[in-house]
Amino acid sequence: MREIGRGEVGHPDAKRPGRRFAVGSLVLAFALLAAGGALGFVAARGPMTPANMSDRVRAVAVTLRCPVCQNLTVADSPSRLAQEMRATIARDLAAGRTPAEIRQGFVRAYGQWILESPPKRGIDLAAWIAPVLLVLGGLAAAAWAVWRWSAQGLTGRASVGAGEEPDQVLTSADRSLLERALAGTKEETE
Amino acid sequence: MDRLGTFALMLGLVLAVYGLVASVIGARRDRPLLVESARTTAFSLLAVVAAANGAMLAAILSNDFSIRYVAENSSRATPTFFKVLSLWSADEGSLLLWNLVLAGYIAAVAFRFRRRKPETFPWAMAVMYMVSAFYLVLVLGPTRPFATLVSAPVDGRGPLPLLQNHPLMAAHPPFLYLGFIGLTVPFAFAMAALISGTLSDRWIRITRRWTLAAWIFLTVGLLLGALWSYGVLGWGGYWAWDPVENIALLPWLMATAFLHSVMIQERRGMLKVWNLSLIVGAFALTTFGTFLTRGSILSSVHAFAQSLVGPMYLGFLVVILIGGFGGIAAQAWRLRSQGRFDSALSRESAFLGNNILLLGLTFVVLLGTIFPLVVEALTDRQSTVGGPYFKQTTVPLFLLLLFLMGIGPVLPWRAATPEQARRRITVPVAAGAATMVLLAAMGMRNLAAVAGFGMAAFVLVANGGEVVRGMRAFARARRRRVLRSILEAVARNPRMYGGYLVHLGVAVAIIAIISSTSFARQTEVTLALGQETSFAGYTLRYEGQHVLQQPQRQVLVADVTVSRDGRPLGRVRPSLNLYPGASEPIGTPSIKYGVLKDLYSSVLGFEGDAGGRATFRFFLNPGVMWLWVGGGTMALGGLLAAWPGRRRVLLPEPPIRQRQLVGVKEGR
Amino acid sequence: MNGTSPGSMARHPSGLDAAPGRRRRRNRWVALGAVLGGVALLTLLLSFGLSRDPTVIRSALIGRPAPDFALRNLDGSGTVRLSDLRGQVVVINFWASWCADCRIEHSNLAGAWQRYRDRGMVLLGVAFQDRPSASRAYLAELGGDWPQLSDPSSRTALAYGVYGVPETFVIGPDGRVAFKQIGAVSYDRLSEQITSLLPEPSS
Repeated sequence: MREIGRGEVGHPDAKRPGRRFAVGSLVLAFALLAAGGALGFVAARGPMTPANMSDRVRAVAVTLRCPVCQNLTVADSPSRLAQEMRATIARDLAAGRTPAEIRQGFVRAYGQWILESPPKRGIDLAAWIAPVLLVLGGLAAAAWAVWRWSAQGLTGRASVGAGEEPDQVLTSADRSLLERALAGTKEETE
Repeated sequence: MDRLGTFALMLGLVLAVYGLVASVIGARRDRPLLVESARTTAFSLLAVVAAANGAMLAAILSNDFSIRYVAENSSRATPTFFKVLSLWSADEGSLLLWNLVLAGYIAAVAFRFRRRKPETFPWAMAVMYMVSAFYLVLVLGPTRPFATLVSAPVDGRGPLPLLQNHPLMAAHPPFLYLGFIGLTVPFAFAMAALISGTLSDRWIRITRRWTLAAWIFLTVGLLLGALWSYGVLGWGGYWAWDPVENIALLPWLMATAFLHSVMIQERRGMLKVWNLSLIVGAFALTTFGTFLTRGSILSSVHAFAQSLVGPMYLGFLVVILIGGFGGIAAQAWRLRSQGRFDSALSRESAFLGNNILLLGLTFVVLLGTIFPLVVEALTDRQSTVGGPYFKQTTVPLFLLLLFLMGIGPVLPWRAATPEQARRRITVPVAAGAATMVLLAAMGMRNLAAVAGFGMAAFVLVANGGEVVRGMRAFARARRRRVLRSILEAVARNPRMYGGYLVHLGVAVAIIAIISSTSFARQTEVTLALGQETSFAGYTLRYEGQHVLQQPQRQVLVADVTVSRDGRPLGRVRPSLNLYPGASEPIGTPSIKYGVLKDLYSSVLGFEGDAGGRATFRFFLNPGVMWLWVGGGTMALGGLLAAWPGRRRVLLPEPPIRQRQLVGVKEGR
Repeated sequence: MNGTSPGSMARHPSGLDAAPGRRRRRNRWVALGAVLGGVALLTLLLSFGLSRDPTVIRSALIGRPAPDFALRNLDGSGTVRLSDLRGQVVVINFWASWCADCRIEHSNLAGAWQRYRDRGMVLLGVAFQDRPSASRAYLAELGGDWPQLSDPSSRTALAYGVYGVPETFVIGPDGRVAFKQIGAVSYDRLSEQITSLLPEPSS
């Protein structure tokens, strides 16, 4: 944080840090916008629809669990039963049945167990909602904590003197560091 | 041999209990001699547990089928190499190895602190002896690897076919065990801090390298597991979100979170309760994971049903959870934050976000792994949570994590000015944005892949840029030549550069994972002798089948020649292995590894005489090689971060308790 | 997360720790309670997990109409259609020559066939993922003269949710699946299921 940009003195912008900051921010904003635009564009186009039969079979097979394997999907499993399930899916697709109907057929025989993902309804919805709630809640709590901890830091600084540089203020953290250093126990720091 | 083994284990249990009692009394009554004797007991414990392992190994190598474990997991025809692996290829034997690794860690801690013992040392030893006693009871009571058969069979059954198919089985379990069990050390010191009330940051300083070592072992173990899965199971992938894989990932995620958040405690004296919780959580997760698989809660490769193992594990888990989190809850009021954040725009904030995301990932993986159990308990309906669920839920979290992985390193500790942050972040953001725009313009339609590649580019440039920036500053300051300054800069601060290296490795691995999962191509085809098929630009021709008679199995090998545009590129030889004890043949894939893409082949079956027709699966997996490269880089980065820097940790400290009190009084 | 003290209060030398200390001590009991509660819930869940066998997939077909099929005999002699057998108790046994448990249960099936074949029960064997020659050799060795069907590409097995052999389904006269046995079936279990579904001889 104490790094001084090279050639800052000679740089024409150095005298006008405000302007330089504005230009830099513009570049950053443009990059962020471009990234967002690219993602939005890809999202709007949507994923590729499976064109040939083997891709269509695979799209159904990845959502089904191979009954005789260790947690492999029907699409991945090399077992004979999975081969036959893939063949069944291909036949059903060729006969004009929709992926949802085919899946339903397997659920009738094997139960909900055969579906790789829990459906988004009933009690299974919890598997989808809980992570979202938890992560959003966690991030919100962290943001709140950071805001509060750093707001305290600001008030502490303000009480020392509003005009001073932050570096010259001995914050509590500095004090505890200093204490440790004085006690001859300064541990490795980066 | 069985008597010797059982006797050694019993002796081990006696030693562990003695170590536990002597440590506790030594600590409570302040008897250095007793503590010292508990310390040296660790070496005897290691010796006897090693003897038990040696006895089992000797029994396996000498075909002593009077021992049930040997009869069920080895045979005369098993090659010597795989005989050695039989030691840990089934549950009873792997618990022996588990005990050995644990005793090894205890001895290592005892050796490390042979001269100066931190205040928490006796309590930490007591905790480790307690864990060791539990695992020794487990092998003496319900699992009994040395149980004998009334009449010894002439020959044994041999190891499970899947486990004798690949030499990587030699390294994968030991590394995972080293990782899992390694977390016992930081857990023990954290518990020691809680028990003794010596709640300074010392336990973190003492155990940082131990945690890092466990993390490196876990990383390598996970990587080897993926390699094994890729090279053996024949489905073209390396990670299936199987419960066994998930439970190995959980402590890794938690340890990663811990390795970041301890830095906030070291620098700012904050997040004390948080860090204690993380390490207790990581250790509890290793126990929970072994319980899930060994207690046959979830169907898995390793599941086995033995009446008492499950309940015993459950009891142990309850003790850990109540002891750990209960201890934290009881002591939390004494664990006050000494510092605060200077700015929201700081590395501390990024680390906090990183912790939330890593914990979120841990939660998602854990939830998905046990969710079927919850649903069945509540509604009596069987259900599955598999790969598609984990992909959908973890990908957004991983993307956010990548974002922070680029942000964190460019933000300085304490506080960044907006200008400073803007200056350092612009180039990486531009690189990431350019990648995304380019891929979108090229017509890539997989949103997660575009976002992931962009984020990976952002991480690469951000972390690479920090390395370059640091070295240039160093070279300028010292007026040294570039190469020398690189080495010196790294040597001065291996921890920081190790961290950057890990990040670079993660970015590379992420790129590999995205390319191999999103852009793999595959086909399933039945070929007659001499017939050709074209796949992804390759021409594959089925030349014929030959049979290898090996002592323990019969191998049916398919010969397939590979060419591209008329240019021969060699052969692939996928095979089916017929084991006498197995109903279905086990396939072995054949892989042409490449820098950019692997041609992966497996044979599903033969029809007709002498393999007149064969059904194959061919995969073209782009970028898999870089998963191994990225993973290896992560492990190297971890090693670098564990390397002692120029300024060594100074261990002799003045009485911590006193200083702590002073700090509290004066601080606020 | 990490509890921090309110800054303004703590900075006052006189008000040091008093109020927050008491609150923290009270919080301790709340936290301890939460830990105990969480561990108790987890223990309950895991104890439930210990009480069941994770390798058994329970059938979703119990109580529902049995999927119809028309399968050829193994010897190619004719076709058996399930819907033609409505009104009788139908026992469908999926087996394979490479399956060890199938040999164990074969005599039980034979016993049930002998006893109930003239009382309104039909036993059907369906070979699962087996070479016809191997299936025939197996039958020649073990005997049994109930109809044996071949199920090319396992269509019927998939419709019945078979995930291993042997598996045995008992279908009532109403055409609904009444019972499924996973693994070798015992004579007593089979007989009990069949008698409960057969119409009373008097009525």
